[in-house]
Amino acid sequence: MTDEELMRAVCDGDQSAYQTIVKQHLNSISHFAFGIIGNQNDTEDISQETFLKLWIKAEKWQPEKAKLSTWLHRITHNLCVDYLRKHGNTEAQEHVDVEKEVQADWQDGYGVSEDREKQGKLLRKVINNLPENQRSALVLCHYSGFSNKEAAVILDVSVKALESTIARAKRTLRKQLSGALRAPSEETSASSDVVNH
Amino acid sequence: MKTLEEFIHLLEIHGADRNKWPDELRQDIESLLAEDESAFSIFNEYALLEHRLDEIVVPEFPNLEQRVLNQELPARAQSITDQLLNWLIPTENLTMRLWRPAMAACLPLVFGIVLGNFYSFGVNSEIDELDYWDDELALLAMSAIPESEAP
Repeated sequence: MTDEELMRAVCDGDQSAYQTIVKQHLNSISHFAFGIIGNQNDTEDISQETFLKLWIKAEKWQPEKAKLSTWLHRITHNLCVDYLRKHGNTEAQEHVDVEKEVQADWQDGYGVSEDREKQGKLLRKVINNLPENQRSALVLCHYSGFSNKEAAVILDVSVKALESTIARAKRTLRKQLSGALRAPSEETSASSDVVNH
Repeated sequence: MKTLEEFIHLLEIHGADRNKWPDELRQDIESLLAEDESAFSIFNEYALLEHRLDEIVVPEFPNLEQRVLNQELPARAQSITDQLLNWLIPTENLTMRLWRPAMAACLPLVFGIVLGNFYSFGVNSEIDELDYWDDELALLAMSAIPESEAP
C-alpha cells in the first residue's frame, strides 16, 4: 500500500493502516525526537503524541506538498520545540564551557576509548549544547538522511537558511571537538575508515 | 570552487561524503583536494567529525512500539462536508431521512422570501401605501353612512 492509500484508510478510521504507518516510521521519528531532546522518557511521549496527531489530523496531510515522512517529522519537530519551550531547553541553556569540558574528557581517555557509549555521551554533550535549530538541522541531515531541501520543509525555513544553520552547527562542532579531531592516533585510525585520498 | 572558504562552506553544507556533493562541483573539489594540502587536511577533519557523529549510540525504545500501537485512539472528527451530509441525510430513522432533505429543500424558498422582504432589487413602488390606505378607509367610512345622513 502506498502512503496515500494508507492515509486515506486512516481518514476512514482504519486502525490497521495506522498500525502499518507506526511500524514504518516509529524508528525514524523516535531517533529524530531523541536527537533534539536527548531525553529517553520525553522522546517516548513525543513519539506517541506524533502518531496521535497523525490519527487526528490525517486529512490535513497534502501528498502533493510533502512526503508522509516529511510531514511526520514536521509534527515531531513542532512537538519538540513546544517541549523545549515548556521545559526551558535546560541542557542547551546551561551555558557550560563545553569546549573545555570536552577537551578535558578527551584527555581523560574518552576519545581514545574503545567504549563507544562513552564517546557517544561526550558527543551528545556537545550536540545538546547547540541551539535547537542547529541541532534539528544536524539530526535531520546527518542522521535521518533527509536532503537539505526536505529538511528545510520540515523546519519550515528556506533551503538557504537551512544550509546556513547546518554550516554554523558543523563549525561549532568542529571548533569544540578540535582536540578530538586532531588527536593523531585517532585521526589515523578513524580517517582510514572514511577518507580515500 | 575558487577559494578554500568556499570549499569549507561546501563541506559544512553537504558533508564530507563525496556522494552528497553537487555533480557540477565534484570535479573541482577533487582537483582542489589533489592540489591543496590544507584543503585535504580540512576535508579530513570534516570526514573525522562525521565519523565521530556516526558513533553516537541512540538508545533502544523497546516498549515504545507497543505503547504507540496500543494507545487509545479518539473517534475521528468528521470533516465539515461529512457533518453537513450527515445532517442532510441522517441514518438514524426514516422520518429524519425524509424530513431533513425536505427542510433543506425549503431553505432557498425561505432565503428568497427574506431577501425579497428586505431588498427591492431596484424596483420602486409607485404606490404610496399610506395614502392608499387613507383613501381606502375614507371610502369605507362613506359607504357606512346612511343615505339620509349623507350631505
